[in-house]
Amino acid sequence: MAAVITYLRGSWTIAVYTWREGMRKKTLIGFLILSVLVIFGSSFMTAFLTQTQIGDAETDMDVRLIKDICVYAISIFGALITIFISASVVPNEVENKVIYTILSKPVRRFQYLLGKFVGVQLIVIINLALMGGLFFIALYLKQNILPTLLLWSILLTYFMLLVISAFTFAVSCAATSAVLPTIAGLFIFITGNITEYLKDVWAKSGQTGQWFDEMIGQIAYGLYNVLPNLQNFSLRTQILHLQPNDPPRDILIPNLIAYGLAYALAGYIMAYWIFRRREL
Amino acid sequence: MERVTPVSAVIETFNLSKVYEAALRGQDVHALKKLNLTVYSGEIFGYLGPNGSGKTTTIKLLLGLIFPTEGSIKILGSTDIGSAAVRRQIGYVPEGAYYPDFLQGEEVLRFYGHLYGLGGADLKRRIDHVLETVGMTRTRKRLVRGYSKGMRQRIGLAQALLSDPEILILDEPTTGLDPIARKEIRDILAGLRDAGKSLLISSHELLEVELISDRVGILSEGVLQTAGTIDELLTNRDVILRVANVSPETFDKLVAAGIEIEDRTEGEAALRVPDNVSVYNALDICRTANVTLMSVAPRRETLEELFVRVVGAAQKGDA
Repeated sequence: MAAVITYLRGSWTIAVYTWREGMRKKTLIGFLILSVLVIFGSSFMTAFLTQTQIGDAETDMDVRLIKDICVYAISIFGALITIFISASVVPNEVENKVIYTILSKPVRRFQYLLGKFVGVQLIVIINLALMGGLFFIALYLKQNILPTLLLWSILLTYFMLLVISAFTFAVSCAATSAVLPTIAGLFIFITGNITEYLKDVWAKSGQTGQWFDEMIGQIAYGLYNVLPNLQNFSLRTQILHLQPNDPPRDILIPNLIAYGLAYALAGYIMAYWIFRRREL
Repeated sequence: MERVTPVSAVIETFNLSKVYEAALRGQDVHALKKLNLTVYSGEIFGYLGPNGSGKTTTIKLLLGLIFPTEGSIKILGSTDIGSAAVRRQIGYVPEGAYYPDFLQGEEVLRFYGHLYGLGGADLKRRIDHVLETVGMTRTRKRLVRGYSKGMRQRIGLAQALLSDPEILILDEPTTGLDPIARKEIRDILAGLRDAGKSLLISSHELLEVELISDRVGILSEGVLQTAGTIDELLTNRDVILRVANVSPETFDKLVAAGIEIEDRTEGEAALRVPDNVSVYNALDICRTANVTLMSVAPRRETLEELFVRVVGAAQKGDA
């Protein structure tokens, strides 16, 4: 037991260091400021619009506009922050040689990776909490109802970001710079949000009878089956159309969390498999 | 403190080889070829070699950061170099490493101390001790951002000493430092050796290495060309005669006798009598020609000269 605690303590030390260092990155701060501006900006914009409009219908439209902008802002900026930080923590440490001073100590590679991954998650969670918190306040001030549905949405957004983070992190463990993992992260984010289209591509393929058409269909089908469907984590439609304090409908939160965790675990195992024999 | 005489091997490599396989159709790089290296307890071993000779590869292999293609490594008698027990006995200072500049010097050490599993009063005691060893007690609360290059290097040394390791591996510890900082680092390293630590120093700074090393090894083309104590290696001992009133004809006679002329000016010169030429022969020529003898001094080959000679020969052989 004591050995396990010591083992985890080493990882936690690395995680806290990663978090402290990551929160100082200028790019991350830039994304965060931009997201805050968008969230506040949407409130100001609708406040300006309501001065020229009268009636409940218009006010509902305003709130919906705020919600729409903010949900997208949190999802996009959250993903950008996640990708940026997940892609850079390991390659940066190889570049500045900090990794040599760490792995030459009694620290296992698994321990190191766990610490780095947990550190990334701390950064993602804090940024998401900041953005979500602002959105929560803005919405509450607008409607005077506690937007509990938003909290569920933020929770699910985190699991979406966890999946993106795990796969970006895995690619970063093989890369010498942050460029390739950033591209991979963006690929996961974009394709993970259009997996339903991939299914459509597969369904509509083969109609011309040409081999190329067939092949595209098969690739789309393969990607549809392998890639996580990130749309599953989105409560955007419900946030737009339900009452702020309504419970989420037609979804099983525990199942979605398990789905996210399974993909994240797969990504993390892939990261370790790549990193355990990597020559540094 | 009394010097500890080298007694047992703390680092041994046996036919250690490393090949970096080329991607696609490139050529494989044989970075290290059957290296048999020994570092003894309580000594400073200067590990020398030109860029790309395989020094950093050796260090990375010793630290388990890369894996050997062939051969084996024994550290403190153990072949399990990745074990926590062995890692605890090795302190490593990489060249030009970054230490988080938003932390204070003391916080950097606390971070590394936690990685050793140290904590509480034990860690505080260790931090106090290593800061004192590297002379950073007064600047412990300063942010690393405000440290000079020399101070950063000393903090690097301090983090490597946290677990009180038996072995210290240092990659270019004095590169980029001013003469005062170099001297300070050199004194700290000599002090550590005197305290019984074994040091492997990889460096380009030949004079620095010559000043503090007990033994040196010269690596070139991935092969350990030579290794031994400074006295064993610097065997070429020339004699320098400073003379005046030397005619051109006498110069010709001296050159014909195998004597090298250095610093020749109007009528004066420094005559270098190589190890294989009799100094009496040179003196006879001078006496016969009524040359004024100003001084006679022995001159040992420098490490730099040995290095250039050994590396040059290795590169010619390889070509």
